[in-house]
Amino acid sequence: MRFHQTLLFIIHKISGQRSENAPYYLLKGKKSGQTIQDVTYFQLHAFFSILPQLSKEDYDAAIAELINGNFIQLKESLVHITEKGIEALPQDKKVLLNGWQYRGKEQIFWKRIDLVVQTLSQFRANEKKFVPNQKDLATQHFVKDYLIQHNYREFNLSTDIKREIVHLLENPLLDDLHRTLFIYRLSGYKKAGLTWEQLTRYYQMTDLSIKISFLECLHIMLDNISVETNPRLVDLAKDIHIDTPLTDSAFKTNSLFEKGYTMDEIAKIRKLKINTIEDHVIEIVSTNKNFSISTFISKEQVERVLHLSNELHTKKLTIIKDRIPEVSFFQVRLALTKGEQIHE
Amino acid sequence: MNKLNEILQKKFGHASFRDGQQEIIEQMIDGKDVIAILPTGMGKSLLYQLPAYLMEGTVIIVSPLLSLMQDQVEQLKIIGEKRVIAINSFLPFQERELAIRHLADFKFIFTSPEMLQNEQFNRALKNLSIAYVVADEAHCISQWGFDFRPDYLRISNWLHSLNDVNVLALTATATKDVVEDIKNTLRMNNPFEYIHSLDRAAIAYEMVEVENQQEKMNWILGRVTSTEGPGIIYTQSRKKTEVYAAMLREQGISIAYYHAKMEQSDRILIQQQFQQGQLDWICATNAFGMGIHKDNIGQIIHDHIPSSVAGYMQEVGRAARDGKQAIASLLYTSTDVEHTFYVAMQDFPEEQDIHIAYQPEYAEVEQAETTTRILAYWKERLNEQETIQLFKQIKQKKWQDIQSFYSMIQNDTCIRRQLLHYFDQTLLEKPAHCCSKCRLDVTSVLRKRKDEKNNQDRLNWKNRLNILLPS
Ligand SMILES: [Zn+2]
Repeated sequence: MRFHQTLLFIIHKISGQRSENAPYYLLKGKKSGQTIQDVTYFQLHAFFSILPQLSKEDYDAAIAELINGNFIQLKESLVHITEKGIEALPQDKKVLLNGWQYRGKEQIFWKRIDLVVQTLSQFRANEKKFVPNQKDLATQHFVKDYLIQHNYREFNLSTDIKREIVHLLENPLLDDLHRTLFIYRLSGYKKAGLTWEQLTRYYQMTDLSIKISFLECLHIMLDNISVETNPRLVDLAKDIHIDTPLTDSAFKTNSLFEKGYTMDEIAKIRKLKINTIEDHVIEIVSTNKNFSISTFISKEQVERVLHLSNELHTKKLTIIKDRIPEVSFFQVRLALTKGEQIHE
Repeated sequence: MNKLNEILQKKFGHASFRDGQQEIIEQMIDGKDVIAILPTGMGKSLLYQLPAYLMEGTVIIVSPLLSLMQDQVEQLKIIGEKRVIAINSFLPFQERELAIRHLADFKFIFTSPEMLQNEQFNRALKNLSIAYVVADEAHCISQWGFDFRPDYLRISNWLHSLNDVNVLALTATATKDVVEDIKNTLRMNNPFEYIHSLDRAAIAYEMVEVENQQEKMNWILGRVTSTEGPGIIYTQSRKKTEVYAAMLREQGISIAYYHAKMEQSDRILIQQQFQQGQLDWICATNAFGMGIHKDNIGQIIHDHIPSSVAGYMQEVGRAARDGKQAIASLLYTSTDVEHTFYVAMQDFPEEQDIHIAYQPEYAEVEQAETTTRILAYWKERLNEQETIQLFKQIKQKKWQDIQSFYSMIQNDTCIRRQLLHYFDQTLLEKPAHCCSKCRLDVTSVLRKRKDEKNNQDRLNWKNRLNILLPS
């Protein structure tokens, strides 16, 4: 998906309910309660934290282009998708990203595979003296251990890795753009990879669109990597999949819940505001379906909130709370978060 | 065969020493302080690498250029040396801790002047048996040098705290004043001085005056499309690197731009593409060139008057490492002096900035990073008026430097002779192809470009993968 399409896709989901900046925080992976709860409310897991380096200038420019092209509108500080925008949405394109799961860690996988291929390529050419593309010591140490474990001196490793890469790339979810980007970013003996600038020029695409495609490729590869089909590459994906995709702070709060502390007690122990703990609860509920919310809100209240939200076609907290004054904002958020999981 | 030559061949794969190398290394092994001035590309790294294998203890290399440090470590690893590390602010905290605890395991420790302030690191260093300390890029010690790094001055106290350790000072550019500064700051004791001629006989110099910017573009277009590279075009702005590269690419030239704002991964790839010959030309700001390993660069083009002779020498010095004839061309207009001064002064603290720096609430004011660093240093030593005076002097010196560069290319004297004169050296022998003032016949220096248009192949991922990992 191109960058503008991605943006349009996200705006389509939050249309009329959030400001035009909400997608920016989502793409950057802002770890605030609001952004994290929106991920679940609007089912935007795919796009969370996919462009941590996105600049506000580039983002604002893209928004301005969408407005000028009459794909979106801003009304009362909310962003709306137009009919033209809906028509321009990517057709039958599957969402290939999995930002919520990888959180930028796919880059670690990339660095490892880049250095492994470069090293093996040099060794195949009998030129063991070379300058590694990847400079950070963690990657270098990891790859060194990996190569020793996999008996890199044997010819098998290089052919196995080649076969496994081809296997992953031939996944029908990917197209030739993905495959080409992945392979041409790699380097080897006397063949340095291509820069983003060279690739954008070749494909006549923007830098962000190229980078999103590359990311899609990494995510699909990681989604499909397994011991059975990729016995060599699976080790390069070690510690890339996040088991509990919680922020560190929410993780600590969660541990205290597990030990049986109440929300007030946790706020006191952690010297945090109760609002922050509420944000953590939303985050925990977003990621863990089995987390019980019965101590915070009754089953009936959840149902009332969800019913109203459906009836009024809104996820705006103020509108819902106005109609059911006895529930708190936190409870509305909680109900909406839980509601999305029921629909999944 | 003596021990030196044996190591030279076995460890470094060279058949013989270059000028001066053996002399310097022998002095170091004898326990003398050495100051060596030799042009870039003349094998200065061998000078600190080789003696390590004949001496007990660790070698500490202090270098102010973090970007070069990584490359120096890699070069040692390439010859199979594993006991090497760079301890600087880039090293993640935990790895740094671990390295400091095991300092004695390393034969070569690269570090920055800033790091020498770190107490924990310093304590560990004191327990080490040190073979010698290397002060790399030593001209940065001198405030008169074109690349003054105030933090580097702190090396003086640090050396004093070590007991009687030998020092090797290395630089590719130093006038007499700078050499004196280096000797004093490094507390050198009657050092052995080796001064290699900074002349590069294989580089011809060509100075071309044009009317305006458009003529520069046309000249570059004509030159690059008709003659052979590989080459580097140096310009002053990031925007211009991109404009030139696009213009030349349209003519079928294999070229890329390079500047500091690019992502690191892309900078690495461009550098490698150029080294491996996938690119013929690079159009760059002065951010390009350090740590580049390419012997066959045939042309260096400047589209401006450089802000210092030393910087210029460093940039043209990247040509002709293989000893084959190369040419350095410089295009200028009569208004370039002002422009270069303007560029050089962009980050330079004005009286106003200095005044602000001396205010108590200074910490909250944002200034350019280099400005902050330099001002912080002088603030500890001088009062406000003295600092203002000092910077006036430095500013004036910069203006003079640029002016003298301009008059050097304007007068009738041989360029080569004048460049050397700047470093208080004399020209012993003029090469056949000298400079545009010595009736240089440019056509006999340049090779005609073989007319092969650079058609970009269709990308084919399967083919490419088979090339990377052949069956
Ligand atoms: Zn001459």
